Formats: sequence, structure tokens, C-alpha cells
Amino acid sequence: MLKVPEHQVAGHIAKDGKPGPLVDDKGRFFKPLQGDSRGEIEVKFYESFSSNTEVPDHIRRYFPVYHGTQAVEGSDGAAMIVLENLLSKYSKPSVMDVKMGSRTWYPEASEEYIQKCLRKDARSTTVSSGFRISGFEVYDHKELSFWKPDRKLLNGIKVDGARLALRKFVSSNTLSDTSSKPDSAFASSVYGGSRGVLTQLLELKTWFENQTFYHFNSCSILIIYENESIHEDGARAQVKLVDFAHVHDGNGVIDHNFLGGLCSFINFVRDILQSSDESTDN
Amino acid sequence: MLKVPEHQVAGHIAKDGKLGPLVDDRGRFYKPLQGDARGENEAKFYESFSSNKNVPDHIRGYFPVYHGVQLAEASDGSGKLPHMVLEDVVSGYVKPSVMDVKIGSRTWYPDVSEEYFNKCIKKDSATTTVYLGFRVSGLKIFDCQESRFWRPDKRVVLAYKVDGARMALRKFVSSNPSADSVPDCAYASEVYGGSNGILEKLLELKAWFETQTLYHFNSCSILMVYENESGGDDERRAQVKLVDFAHVLDGNGVIDHNFFGGLCSFIKFIQDILESSDNRCENGH
Repeated sequence: MLKVPEHQVAGHIAKDGKPGPLVDDKGRFFKPLQGDSRGEIEVKFYESFSSNTEVPDHIRRYFPVYHGTQAVEGSDGAAMIVLENLLSKYSKPSVMDVKMGSRTWYPEASEEYIQKCLRKDARSTTVSSGFRISGFEVYDHKELSFWKPDRKLLNGIKVDGARLALRKFVSSNTLSDTSSKPDSAFASSVYGGSRGVLTQLLELKTWFENQTFYHFNSCSILIIYENESIHEDGARAQVKLVDFAHVHDGNGVIDHNFLGGLCSFINFVRDILQSSDESTDN
Repeated sequence: MLKVPEHQVAGHIAKDGKLGPLVDDRGRFYKPLQGDARGENEAKFYESFSSNKNVPDHIRGYFPVYHGVQLAEASDGSGKLPHMVLEDVVSGYVKPSVMDVKIGSRTWYPDVSEEYFNKCIKKDSATTTVYLGFRVSGLKIFDCQESRFWRPDKRVVLAYKVDGARMALRKFVSSNPSADSVPDCAYASEVYGGSNGILEKLLELKAWFETQTLYHFNSCSILMVYENESGGDDERRAQVKLVDFAHVLDGNGVIDHNFFGGLCSFIKFIQDILESSDNRCENGH
């Protein structure tokens, strides 16, 4: 039985007869293959990546497991990419999608696409900060429901807005109330710790300093953590790279665009962690 | 007495009555303030940087020493103009090989004029800037075999693609840069490698760029210099300096991810050359 995923924060959703992603009850995520070259490129990437013996195991776990492609009933027999459902092991996940890189365009793209990207990159925090928050959904522990910021509002945020969003993402207080300051109550369980988001991002950064296999144009980092029993069992925060429709060969050059953005994002996360540590010390 | 610098590889050149920088015989470099925002911005940067207590001493060494602004006779005969007085990075070298590498996958930055943006993005896309995160702006290499300097035409340098950039970095540490044959990378381990080599210095800079949010070094270059004159000490005295601060802006709490990414890409190129030259030595070539 296939159904619409509950916690998708960015990317295409199923609307008005156009296919969107689906999930099953066996931990799999079905992503429709986009009609143009993008779907093809994404499949090509997953196929190359799955069989690339030079990718170390500890890096492989930052990527969704690939289960090939499948024609699925009810979507006009259209092919779908079958991936690991990253949220299947979570009961109340907070999720954030961060598009990495100070540009989302790349030399091989069409002039039209480049112009479209340049506009979006300049309007968002992409150019200034090397990343932008595409979307997020966070569990509000006071209201006992999920909160999602307005998409339009999110598109217009600047550096301070990005910082605020990253704080809200790890807060327990009422998020829809714009007058209350986010408490960053879960900053150290989600961002910090020996297996927290910061440690995982630093591990990825080391790989990006040397890997010349792929240029991850327009890819996102997905951050997921568990809210159910967070005080007793911890946040089980996970970092995953997603969305490989524009990945190209590295050709002996490192992905300096992704690396620069990743390093900037790491600094943002570290700043929040440090200021939340300082406030608990007080 | 001020004269035209011998070893300038990029930027405006004070020749044939044009306005450009000059040097004296005491190790100082005079860069004319052009009366536009750029000169002002560069002087403002040097002033801020010289007095910025948050810059660690070992990083300060990668920047030219600033000696303030002085009036000096302009190279184009227009009389006394204010000039920024800087450390002449190549003074004290007898036969320096010099290369200027502009770091960053974009030379434009937020809030520039549309005209400037279009000019930059066109150049960035035509050169290796977008693809590699850096481009070679100029070079002058001493050819040990021919006993003369090799200096390719500026237009040739700007037309380099990935292979051209790699080849230039190999030629930079070769004894046969002007030859058409494969660069021998004879000096790769002395110049790029070792505890005082260029790679170590770049790695030190990289560590600072991972967290510094003081400045965004838009359109800045890294200048690499080393000595070819065989002296008694056989020392290459390889140096790395950041230069050209006309477009530097405040960091405002964000790291210079553009410079950082390009710097990492440049480091990888140097590492690759070092590794392949090391391998050749092991094979007895």
C-alpha cells in the first residue's frame, strides 16, 4: 500500500494529478522520475554511487540507500526511483532541508536555468551565506503538534532569519508565537554530542576536502531528529544528503561550491551550540 | 628614487606613461590611490587589518605590511598623488619566480552594480574561476635551463582551462617552464613541499578561513614567490601572500565561504602535483 509521505518539507509534492513521492509500509520511498534529464541524472548518480568502491563506508551512511527503479501502479506506469525512507524509523521527526552551496547553478546548465538560479540565489541566503533553508517542520512540545513556517516567508529570509530558523528547529517552546524567543532547548542533544549534527557535518566536510568524484550541484542536506521521548532516549539526529538531479562528474576537481557552503553552515550550527551552552552555564 | 617594479605579474602596470605602482630601494611598494572607491576601500582594509587584535600573528605574516599613505610622484607624470605604502613582497629576492592566483569561484559579491556583476561573471565563466574556484592571473617563472624569465602573454593566461591551470602550476616548479615538453616539476618538493613550503602555508591559511568572519576577501589573490638564485644556503624561501584588497567587505558573522572553497580546490591541485612528483622521484625518474 502506497501513501503520501507525512513529513516532506521541500521538493515536489503530489498535486493536481502530477505525481509526487510516495512511501510504503516497508521503509521505502518512491520518487517519480522527472520527465526531463533530471530523473535520468539522479538514477545515474545513485547507480554510480552504489557501486563506487572508493566511497568509504562511514560516508556512505550519509546517503539514502538505493533500491533501483520500479514502475508503480497508479502513476500511469511511470518509473520511480526506490530509495530508503529516511523517516521510517522516526515516530515524531523534526525535519529540515538545507540547500548547500553559494550557487545552485553550474557550468553545464542551460543559460535559462542559470539565470533562474542566479535570481533565486541572490534573493535568498545562498549567495551571502553559502546555503539556504528550503523548508522545515518542527515538533512544538508545548502545542503538541508540528509547526511549519510559511513557505513564502522562508524564501525571503536573510542571514538573521536563517539563524533564527536554526534556533527554532531545536526549540521546545511555542514556535508560532513570534514574540517569544526560541529556547534552543534541544541544541546540545541535536547539534551537539559525539554523534550529533555538528560531528556528522564535520565528517562530511573532511570527505569533501578531497573527493573529486561528484559535484553535488543543488543538493540538500536533510537534518532529522526524534521528538518522541527526546529527554529519555536522546534525539537520534541524522544528516543525509538528498536530491541528486543535477550531480555531475567531478573530473579531478573538488566540489568547492558545496564545501564552502557546508563550512559556512557548520559555523552557523556551531555558533548556536556555543551560545546555548553558554546560556545553560549561566 | 621610485621605479617601476621588475616582477609585477598582474594588475595595472606603470609603464609607457600609465599610472601604476612603483617601488623604492628600501623594500617598499607604492600603490597609487586612484581617487575612486577601490583605492579608498583598500586603504580602509589595511587600516582595519593592521589594528585588528583578532587576527593571530601567524596569519598576519600572510599579508603585506602596511606603512600608511604618502604623497609620491605618480608614474604617469600627473604630479604628486597619494599612494598606499606597502611591503614590497618580492624585494630581497634576486631571481624570483612569481605567480598570482585569484581565489574564489566568483569575483563578484552581493550589492555590486549590474554592470560590474556582468563584467565579473563573464570573466569568471570564461576562465577557470567558476569551475575550479580559482584562476591564474599572471606568472613569471625563471627558466633555469635557458637562464631567463618565461612570461606567457596575459591573454594566453586568461584563456587557460583546467589543463592549462594545472600545467601552469607544474611549470611554476619546473626547470624547463618555457619548453613545449612536459614540465619536469624539478622543484615541486622544495617549493610546494616541506615544512616551510607553499602547501604548509596554504594549509595554515585554510585553517584560519574555516572560522574567521572578520573579512570577505572578494577578488583577492594569493601571490606565490620563491628564489631561483643559487646562493650558499640553497634556500628557496617560498612565500605566500594575500594581495589586492580593493573589494574586501566586512564578514558580518559569516565565513568567507567563497574564498575558502576556492582555496581548498587550489590546495588539492598543489597536493596532486606534489604527490605525482614524489612518485616519480621514488621511481628514480
